Amino acid sequence: METLKNAFDFSDFPRSDLVVAGVLALALAAFPFLSPSSFAMATMIQFFMFSIYGMGWNTIGGYGGQVDLGKAQYVGIGAYTTAVMLIRWDIPFWVSMPVGMCLSVMWSFIIGYPLFRLKGHYFAIATIATSLVLKDLFEVWDFVGAARGLEISPIKYHPPDFLRLIFRDDIYYYYIIFAFFLAGIVYINWFRKSRLGFQLRSIKDNEEVARSLGINVHWAKIKTYAIATAFVSVAGSFHACYIKNIEPEDTMSLDISILIALMAMLGGAGSLWGPIIGAGILIPLKSYLKEWLGARAGLVGIDLIIYALIIMVISAKEPRGIWGIVERVRRRKRRR
Amino acid sequence: MDILISSIVAGLLIGMILALVSLGLTIIFGVMDIVNFAHGEFLMLGMYTTLFTAQATGIDPLLTLPLAALVGFALGVACYYGFIRFLLRGPMVAQLLGTFGLMLLLRNLALLLFGSEDRALHHGLLVGKSFELGMGVIIPATKLAAAGLSIVTFAAVWLLMNRTRIGKALTATSLNAQGARYMGIPTSRMNALAWGIGGGSVTLAGGLLVNFWSVNPFVGLLFTMIAFTIVALGGFGSVPGAFFAALVVGLITEIPGFWDFVTYTFDIGWMSDVPMTSFKYTWVYLAYFVIMVVRPRGLFGWKH
Amino acid sequence: MKILEVQHLVKEFGGLRANDDISFSLEKEELTGVIGPNGAGKTTLFNCIAGLHPVTSGRIFFDGRDITALKAHEVARLGLARTFQVYTAAGDLNVEENVMVGCFMRTASRTEARRRARRILAELNLEEHADALVSELPVAAQKQVTMATALGTAPKLLLLDEVAAGLNPSEIDQIMDTIRHLHHDLGITIVLIEHVMALVMNVCQRLVVLDYGKKIADGGPEDIADNPQVIKAYLGERYVAEHTGELS
Repeated sequence: METLKNAFDFSDFPRSDLVVAGVLALALAAFPFLSPSSFAMATMIQFFMFSIYGMGWNTIGGYGGQVDLGKAQYVGIGAYTTAVMLIRWDIPFWVSMPVGMCLSVMWSFIIGYPLFRLKGHYFAIATIATSLVLKDLFEVWDFVGAARGLEISPIKYHPPDFLRLIFRDDIYYYYIIFAFFLAGIVYINWFRKSRLGFQLRSIKDNEEVARSLGINVHWAKIKTYAIATAFVSVAGSFHACYIKNIEPEDTMSLDISILIALMAMLGGAGSLWGPIIGAGILIPLKSYLKEWLGARAGLVGIDLIIYALIIMVISAKEPRGIWGIVERVRRRKRRR
Repeated sequence: MDILISSIVAGLLIGMILALVSLGLTIIFGVMDIVNFAHGEFLMLGMYTTLFTAQATGIDPLLTLPLAALVGFALGVACYYGFIRFLLRGPMVAQLLGTFGLMLLLRNLALLLFGSEDRALHHGLLVGKSFELGMGVIIPATKLAAAGLSIVTFAAVWLLMNRTRIGKALTATSLNAQGARYMGIPTSRMNALAWGIGGGSVTLAGGLLVNFWSVNPFVGLLFTMIAFTIVALGGFGSVPGAFFAALVVGLITEIPGFWDFVTYTFDIGWMSDVPMTSFKYTWVYLAYFVIMVVRPRGLFGWKH
Repeated sequence: MKILEVQHLVKEFGGLRANDDISFSLEKEELTGVIGPNGAGKTTLFNCIAGLHPVTSGRIFFDGRDITALKAHEVARLGLARTFQVYTAAGDLNVEENVMVGCFMRTASRTEARRRARRILAELNLEEHADALVSELPVAAQKQVTMATALGTAPKLLLLDEVAAGLNPSEIDQIMDTIRHLHHDLGITIVLIEHVMALVMNVCQRLVVLDYGKKIADGGPEDIADNPQVIKAYLGERYVAEHTGELS
């Protein structure tokens, strides 16, 4: 009971924030009825998915300060579990998604135990390494289609199929992922105020102090890593049903891992809204840059050049992210 | 037996070249505790520099190496003053992502300017020549020369770091930046120098590598990861550590060769069914993970 | 009733003996000071007791249990808390939330943790700062917050690491009152490392003196002040010789 109350309790935010968040939520709910282009719809669905990835990353990377650059492997595990189970045994999404989550979490425990003996750069690079090993494995593993990947062919099913999440119209995907997105916010809202959430912030600042306060640092990190993994895996499962064509290269590449961390940092790591703000800026920016500059103007790579410049400016000038600026301004006002 | 020996030789040769590839990364890390994701992109630019210069002027690719090193040095210093020094104040995640941004920038600039196709060197003094050592071991002349020059450069940089005044200032900065500053060492200039040497040595490695490795704008990431592995195994910031770790990693990349050796020597059927060559670099990552967990300070590490 | 017993504790870093065969024990509700020149091994001793460093040899008993091999968080859960010279729990959190991190050791409930944190803040007269970030507070209040956070874990024994360092005399008085309050009114056994002699001599019932990793004296504040070995450790051989006439 207390847990539920805490999860839905946003009262520690200023009222202005809640008004903005409410208005935005309503706008997002109404968005599909404003007759957007299919490109805009696809971009919004990507935005929700990456917000969920980012919220997951934020638990361990933002609150816990452990720079994890290997989240893509869990996108892969989630996506492949759902795709394999659907294609081979016709098992619906609502079963395969929790199964994928369990597999991801199990894998996260297996590698998390040794991973968290490492710190700093060693840890960050090791997360990349594990993710790349898994990707290399999937590229030669025939059972999951090797480098060709897997394709869910929608012809076999009768959309709209709510069990298998096969739809012809993006509007269904939109609302389903929107629901996951809202659930994710509620969960993180609970998490940030929970015992684990507090302990992580202490771990981030100084592990010796944390240990002296009775915190089992290693175990707290592993637990949080599993939570982050679960988030990523769920959105990964959704990715399989939505994209319908998954390959190791586009589900598990380093770029995805980096993008996830980058969004959270841009928005403000270690805050509830940070990853969402980051995804809200980067995802539309990325896809529209590609559409306008890359595809139409025929300048291959120029979209990514601009994107790279933005990353560089942010990390040099505002490493605490957009939410960091907001909080600093507020604190200054309060002190006056 | 032939396979075994030629795998070992090939592994050690590539290891020596990889040593030069990772030298810059370990120097930069040692001096300012920052991991450079764009390292492989420097290598790529070195490869393009040598390739285009050699093709345009018709001179031997080996003669273009000083130019490659110069380009890398200038680029390294420019990156430091133009970008990296602003990152140093920020948290680690910002540093990692910032250099990742630099990597994307360089990679896509190359894509825009040079196109995505593979390019390779087809002429040159050594291209296509090889030595036969007997026992079936054949060494391409390009690799041998590259390995030799790599060792020479590595030794030169090591001497620079340990035997000259400026090198000692660099080492002092890496041991204790604040202390060095109080001693009157201009640490910001030292950082820039580290980036210069780091960039120059890796573009030089690129110039050597392009003699037998084709180049495209995406070639960098693989080498960045390998260099990360080597630097971590050698102990971040340790120059001799990086050299020995590179030899180890070179041998690890030849695991498919060893696998073939075991398969054929003992005639084990199932082993021949495993697509081992697809895993060439997987072993590098796996080795990194395992060694780090068993020995968190790296194979030869003493710093940190 | 002994609450802490250290037997022949040795801690080596490489070849350096930071703690060399230290033995002492504490009675329940004692207020003890550990003093000694810089580098005498005081903080190392605390870290060994709190389980942050594995000891090289020797044994440590807390409340009748052998805690030598326990990890820091296990030791903390048994009721042994320590503060650090410079750090509080988390810079992102405000004062009340920092204290809650400590309270969360004994409860998983946020409501309960918050209730306890508020009580502790009231106890130490820190309520007015509850919503501030720790870094915004004056140094004395920051030190009190580190003590409050440690108190959140409901300790039986509290190790305080230089809580008066860098404070002015009136702030030291304030800290002294806080320490006395914890000791008298809450009945917590306290060990403190301190360089500020005014504080040590005023509040401690007993002093343990370390020099070069060895225990050189152990007794009441008055005895320690007259102990020639202690004076030698602090002021040097020559000073002692000149003032006692031992050097010919």
